[in-house]
Amino acid sequence: MLLSNIDSNCYNVTFKPNCSLTASNKRKVVLLLTIIPCCIAVGFGMLGAWFVLPFVGLEVGALAFAFYYVNSHECDYESISIDGNSLLIERGHGKQVSQQELNPYWVNVQRIELPSGELKLNLISHGKRIEVGRYLTRKQREILADQLQKRTGTFKQY
Amino acid sequence: MSSTTTTHDAHGHDDHGHPTGLMRWVKSTNHKDIGTMYLWFSFTMFLFAGALAMGIRAELFQPGLQFIKPEVFNQLTTLHGLIMIFGAIMPAFVGFANWQVPLMIGAPDMAFPRLNNMSFWLLIPAAILLLASFFVPGGAAAGGWTMYPPLSVQGGMSVDMSIFALHILGVSSIVGSINIITTIFNMRAPGMTLMKMPMFVWTWLITAYLLIAAMPVLAGALTMLITDRHFGTHFFNAAGGGDPVLFQHVFWFFGHPEVYIMILPAFGILSTIIPTFARKPLFGYASMVYATAAIAVLSFVVWAHHMFTTGMPVAGQLFFMYSTMLISVPTGVKVFNWLATMWKGSMTFETPMLFSVAVVFLFTIGGFSGLVCAILPVDIQLQDTYYVVAHFHYVLFSGAAMSIMGGVYYWIPKWTGHMYDETLGKWHFWLTTIAFNVTFFPMHFTGLAGMPRRIPDYSQQFAEFNMISSLGAFALGLSQLLFLYVVIKCIRGGAKATNQVWDGAQGLEWTVASPAPFHTFETPPQVK
Repeated sequence: MLLSNIDSNCYNVTFKPNCSLTASNKRKVVLLLTIIPCCIAVGFGMLGAWFVLPFVGLEVGALAFAFYYVNSHECDYESISIDGNSLLIERGHGKQVSQQELNPYWVNVQRIELPSGELKLNLISHGKRIEVGRYLTRKQREILADQLQKRTGTFKQY
Repeated sequence: MSSTTTTHDAHGHDDHGHPTGLMRWVKSTNHKDIGTMYLWFSFTMFLFAGALAMGIRAELFQPGLQFIKPEVFNQLTTLHGLIMIFGAIMPAFVGFANWQVPLMIGAPDMAFPRLNNMSFWLLIPAAILLLASFFVPGGAAAGGWTMYPPLSVQGGMSVDMSIFALHILGVSSIVGSINIITTIFNMRAPGMTLMKMPMFVWTWLITAYLLIAAMPVLAGALTMLITDRHFGTHFFNAAGGGDPVLFQHVFWFFGHPEVYIMILPAFGILSTIIPTFARKPLFGYASMVYATAAIAVLSFVVWAHHMFTTGMPVAGQLFFMYSTMLISVPTGVKVFNWLATMWKGSMTFETPMLFSVAVVFLFTIGGFSGLVCAILPVDIQLQDTYYVVAHFHYVLFSGAAMSIMGGVYYWIPKWTGHMYDETLGKWHFWLTTIAFNVTFFPMHFTGLAGMPRRIPDYSQQFAEFNMISSLGAFALGLSQLLFLYVVIKCIRGGAKATNQVWDGAQGLEWTVASPAPFHTFETPPQVK
């Protein structure tokens, strides 16, 4: 997903990882997946086979935790903003946020064509090499590279 | 200065490398490596359980006791069933899921790669426990793969080993299912809606759900067995006020969905192969999805057809008879759709297609014999005869195992980057199909004539058919060594496979190189 906010003074784009199920749908899926095993366990419990209950409980807990864990990374993001002399790359991974700052005047946008047909983007400056656009498709990476190229290379010309 | 540069990565598809040597496999979190390990594990178990079957058929070659003592014969039948189901068929399908599901949905890997590794490595201690049980005092478990009490309560230490092994396998299956479900729901490529997913992915999603619903029931039943054996409870011990038939209810509540756990992924493989070689889209995709879901739902309301002779109210018997018959409706929809896909298709018969057509035909025979068994008054006659053995081998060998073989031939060029030897593949197909029918078709007749299963000796009247079955079984076993040779030959070399491999194949897995790179779809593809 590519969210962008571009105007003449500042440039800001935010990328989020591909996630094919929204948070609200995750809750529905978990409910749907767990309700029948719970009913089965209660049924067997009532018939005297109550040992089924704790196993279903463990399993439902594991399933819910798996979806919770996946959901907690739904908010991961990568944002690139250029404002004046600052090119800021911010990454959110779970509850951790990391930032790296470069000077856009000195940034080299490197495109690496992989044999698999994919395109990898690096921002290189003063010995630092930072991969960006990992959540994007090839086409979106090409657009991002063009946009960054304009805002790094052309700034120099001004 | 500022500039844009374009370079090509000279180091291959990924610049962060991947481990090599033994540790690549031990510590692997890569779905392709883990898929490969699952498939090799399952094939090893398949050969071992097959060897046990050879022992059974050698003993049954002629009436009387020749090679094996009766108690050892029962150990062979029990472990043959347990290992084939839990060690061969199920892990093979999980291997396919590991290899294919991420490739088919455009995901870079499974949602929980480390759990995926754990799921596989849990299989090893479980297999060791099952195999080692032959060497403990009293030998392996001999009460049948269903582990009915009172035999399982009275059995020796090997029963504990089998129960522990099944518990471990259950944990592995549940963890694997959670992984597959979260992968399919969360990691589909943009544009791949649920109703655009390949049928193989759909069938695995529903299979994973069946595992989630059924496995804790097995775990509960096994734990109650353990407490009855060692902790003084009497869940299933009639002498203490327990009910042995309760175990059968609980077991088959797991056991019948288990049958569909072993067949639904096979349906997914067929639904992938047949359109490829008919060069037509799958007929009735939506109805296939709904039929799969209907089979899954119905699989939870038919369990007592395995226990018609235990005594139950007539209303119960009628309910389970009719609900069992009802399953033939969605199954019939599937068979109809496969035939309609082939109808007027531009068909060719490479080895995967030969296996698929044979499965449609032979599985239908197994389905029809299942309908015969569903008829209550008939089942009372056929219960525990070789007719039932013939029925479930037509369903599980020709339905599940032959689908797995077809799937291996279909995808092995993508996995290895080499085409397999088509001539040898066809030899393997014909030998397997003919030998399978020679082995199991006569069992319909011996069963109808009343020959009981799980008995090492039999009346003289069954001698000819048993001799034919045994000869077929030996040929069937030997022909699987040819399969092993074809697979190894393909891994070691052969004609270079193209990315597309099959001209009629559709799907994301054919857009990546052959062999599939170590990392694929790190950037999700856009599905139109």
